[in-house]
Amino acid sequence: MALLSVRNLKVALPVNADRAFAVKDISFDLAPGEILCIVGESGSGKSLTAAAIMRLLPRSVTIAGGSIELEGRDLASLTEADMRTWRGHRLAMIFQEPMTALNPLMRAGAQIEEILEVHTDLSAAARRERVLELMRAVNLPTPELLRDAYPFRLSGGQRQRVMIAMALALDPALLIADEPTTALDVTTQKQILALIKQIQRRRNMGVLFITHDFGVVAEIADRVAVMQHGEIVEIGCTADVLNAPRHPYTQKLIAAVPRLEPRKTVTDTSPLLTARRVAKTFRTGGGLFTKKRVVPAVKDVDLTIGAGETLGVVGESGSGKSTLGRLLIRLIAADGGEVSFGGADLLNASAARLRALRPQVQMIFQDPYASLNPRRKVGQIIADGMLAHGMPQGNAFARASELLGLVGLDAGAMDRYPHEFSGGQRQRIGIARALALNPKLLIADEPVSALDVSVQAQVLDLLNDIRRRFNLSMLFITHDLRVAAQVSDRIAVMRLGEIVETGPTEQIFLRPQHPYTMELLDAVPGKTWIAPTVFARA
Amino acid sequence: MQRLQFIAQRVLKGVVVLLGIIVLNFVLVRLAPGDPATVMAGEAGAADELFLQQLRKEFGLDKPLHEQLVVYVKNVVTLDLGFSYRQQRPVSDLLMERAPATLLLTGAAFVLSLVVGVALGVFASMLVGRWSDSLITVFALFFYATPIFWVGLMGVLLFSVTLGWLPSFGMYTVGANLKGAALAFDVSRHLVLPALTLALFHMAVYARMTRASMLEMKDQDFVRTARAKGLPESRIVRVHILRNAVLPVITIAGVKAGYLIGGSIVVETVFAWPGIGRLAFEAVLQRDYNVLLGVFFLTSFMVIAFNLITDVVYSLIDPRIELGA
Amino acid sequence: MHGARDFWKRFSRNKGAVVGLAILVLVLATAIFGPLLFPTSPWEMTGAPFQRPFDPEFPLGTDTLGRDVLSGIVHGARVSLLIGFVATLVAVIVGVILGALAGYYGGIIDDLLMRFTEFFQTIPSFVFAVVLVAIFTPSIASIVAAIAIVSWPAVARLVRGEFLTLRTREFVQASVVLGQPARHIIFVEILPNAVSPIIVAGSLMVATAILTESSLSFLGLGDPNLMSWGFMIGAARTVIRTAWWMSFFPGLAILLTVLALNLVGEGLNDALNPRLSREGR
Repeated sequence: MALLSVRNLKVALPVNADRAFAVKDISFDLAPGEILCIVGESGSGKSLTAAAIMRLLPRSVTIAGGSIELEGRDLASLTEADMRTWRGHRLAMIFQEPMTALNPLMRAGAQIEEILEVHTDLSAAARRERVLELMRAVNLPTPELLRDAYPFRLSGGQRQRVMIAMALALDPALLIADEPTTALDVTTQKQILALIKQIQRRRNMGVLFITHDFGVVAEIADRVAVMQHGEIVEIGCTADVLNAPRHPYTQKLIAAVPRLEPRKTVTDTSPLLTARRVAKTFRTGGGLFTKKRVVPAVKDVDLTIGAGETLGVVGESGSGKSTLGRLLIRLIAADGGEVSFGGADLLNASAARLRALRPQVQMIFQDPYASLNPRRKVGQIIADGMLAHGMPQGNAFARASELLGLVGLDAGAMDRYPHEFSGGQRQRIGIARALALNPKLLIADEPVSALDVSVQAQVLDLLNDIRRRFNLSMLFITHDLRVAAQVSDRIAVMRLGEIVETGPTEQIFLRPQHPYTMELLDAVPGKTWIAPTVFARA
Repeated sequence: MQRLQFIAQRVLKGVVVLLGIIVLNFVLVRLAPGDPATVMAGEAGAADELFLQQLRKEFGLDKPLHEQLVVYVKNVVTLDLGFSYRQQRPVSDLLMERAPATLLLTGAAFVLSLVVGVALGVFASMLVGRWSDSLITVFALFFYATPIFWVGLMGVLLFSVTLGWLPSFGMYTVGANLKGAALAFDVSRHLVLPALTLALFHMAVYARMTRASMLEMKDQDFVRTARAKGLPESRIVRVHILRNAVLPVITIAGVKAGYLIGGSIVVETVFAWPGIGRLAFEAVLQRDYNVLLGVFFLTSFMVIAFNLITDVVYSLIDPRIELGA
Repeated sequence: MHGARDFWKRFSRNKGAVVGLAILVLVLATAIFGPLLFPTSPWEMTGAPFQRPFDPEFPLGTDTLGRDVLSGIVHGARVSLLIGFVATLVAVIVGVILGALAGYYGGIIDDLLMRFTEFFQTIPSFVFAVVLVAIFTPSIASIVAAIAIVSWPAVARLVRGEFLTLRTREFVQASVVLGQPARHIIFVEILPNAVSPIIVAGSLMVATAILTESSLSFLGLGDPNLMSWGFMIGAARTVIRTAWWMSFFPGLAILLTVLALNLVGEGLNDALNPRLSREGR
């Protein structure tokens, strides 16, 4: 018998939403001891499916039909009080954002203990013992100390472990995990995935795992269901779906996943930008009333970017990779070092000299929603830079319209506002803005990490095309090694403000020298899965 | 340790602000139209030329400004706030005499407004969209828009004149000479109307803030976590939402303490409450600037003290305090 | 950016705001045209003192000196609104300038300006206003100045906060990278995106300013040449037991005006910051 059996589930959105149903008529089963991944892009309804099973839908969203049977009982028909008993006892859930999922004013141990307090009649001493046991089970170091720590003292990975400990407290039969590793660094993600798998095997628990990442699917799933527009388009064994997808949508998604194959370095070229001992330490406070805080973000970094070359900078959060990019383009003032760019010293140029140099180095940003001024029309946004550097208005707007065509948007976009465009389109507008001044070097800071995988592939293609056409150099900052493998000629690996290793992409991927590089490569989810490039006809 | 450090920082900050206020006082007197000596003497009547000469000499008004400032700061630091030539008494004596009444009034109003305001806000947030929520919302809107002195006068009209339940002025029944519990009861009866008048506006502020803060917290991720744990709703509100929601209200309450003390001028005027607010009103009528500036100094001091207390309370509730500062 | 019709749609969804706007328009009309209907000075003794209200000649009665209460309220509307709006305008201008400088330049400039602002925020504002008006002698200028002086810090903090967050937004950084001068970045990129919260705060501040003005004139610190609502209540304070109408009606006028401004402020908030409003809650 199936542990969880969902039949014809419908989830209705509020009346004023852009569509009537977030989930329309989906059915699936989950066996005990099985990990089922639901994979899909944003808006596919995967998270609301999870919330519906847990009966934790936002107030305005409702279950409009179908049944959700757990161990033969229809959850949708339980009273709220009964459902509370089921939550915790039979099914538990962990969430995406470990930073906000814990109560900031309550000690970690107390938050785990609370569930025992409410659902069991264990004595206080027994509860405390059980909390320590649970914390050990999720491999938290020094549980006796961490029990009394407040969440803000814990790292993201530790918080997610606390969440898992909480979920395991009453030995539930089903664990629902909604993108539990999306907010974590890859090395932490690897540990959490391993932990979930280990616990699941040990306790023979069913796991419903929601993700957008096919790498994670390859890593953890027994079976996988692919969702699009609120429907399951394909469901089957992981190996079958990943290697021989049948539905065109699945095929499109899998084709869009960047392959973990290092790209061949194109040419050895003369250096365009050379950075020497660039350093930045963030200092806050230190005034009369505040404590001083010193965070070394970038420590004496050397790097070179050749003409027409793409240098990928990879690293986890806090590695200083974004700060490095902003130092090179002087969005942040460096503490020391020099950056020679085509003979000029970027870091130490005077304000006037810098202004003259600006057009040659441009930037593409991460967040397509924050990178365009919501109060200005697209045409103005693109033309602004040209106007600032003295181009006559008519020419600037004509050129802006041309650039829109170049990035694959039609000229009608000129008179519209950013909010009328999708994330991918906005990213194209951002690229057009950066190209407007005919730069020699583009600094791209995670330009595709906020995009869905299919859109991501299109934007990467566009960048690749532009780069070739204009012989652009690029500094490509990313946390995603798959993306780095695809776009970079050379790669620099950053950790704690230092470049630990740099070399041609192939060398980094096939013959890494530094242990940290190896660790990073080893942590890439689904690294052994080579996505197929040719699909059988459906 | 970190908490002590935090509190020490706040005390230091308070001292700096206080010094700033002393300087501001000094500057105000010099900026005022006319001769500082006239200002000190208090305009009407008291100022004959000989007397002004005397003043100039005493305060070194003929010396350079920075020397005058040093003299002034020294005086204030030793609690010499000048002399009221209208009342023929040192200003600090007058203030000390009146301070307890104001502390009683503002303290009572502070507690009343915070406790009742937060309670109303919590109550409303739990019944969003229901009639009791609407009632509380309307109540808050109404008192948020009413001038304090008018509330006071209408209160007198209703509870003293029409219903005859409560006394309408003063702090004691005149000539009753009560002692002990009877005195306490008498004072409390006199306190009800002024304290309520002063509290209502802030009650409205805290009720609105608490309601909004509670609603915001309800949508936080950790509340969803609590639901996923199968906790009963009452516990979720009590343990998870309430504490997080009240925290910002407490911070604001400290900041708003200044408004409460400002409001006491008006309330004490309406109810003839013998505190420093009433003293300020008398000083305004008599153009007795030394007293007025003394009141300004003392109320600033009280606000700083109020802020300090809320900071300490805050640091006891919020474990993250060391991150802020 | 969403057009006037969208704005009105979102504003009018808040019923309270529409009511508030109606009251506000009425008060404004009174302030502008009222004195034409009551051309005689409100200081003039036009009838017998202590006349009760609801009388055809003096609908709201007369005061202790036989002055028409209704005429006083009509003339007072002008003073209250004028002081409320001008004081707020001054406070907003000062606050925006200081807040923008602090938020945009950060570092030491920010530190100094914020310490300065905090200092003014710690001072009990009403007491400070009383001291200022008393020392500089009550006049419409000193009252406006005093209210502006105690009001600007809130604006400065708000604007600084907005500037601090907007400055790190990617579209502003893009503008820096393009080589735009500071003037363009402040006025074209940042300020238009900070306008909504400033407007909302400003509209609520007018309400507070009117309350402060009424309290000042209640204490006898109003401009001696101008009839104001607070003054009327202050003058009637001692006869509250016998003549309730003399303080009741002017107070009602203050209440309605301030209430209307608060309601409009909330409506503006709903209309200008749709994401922050109660929608979808």
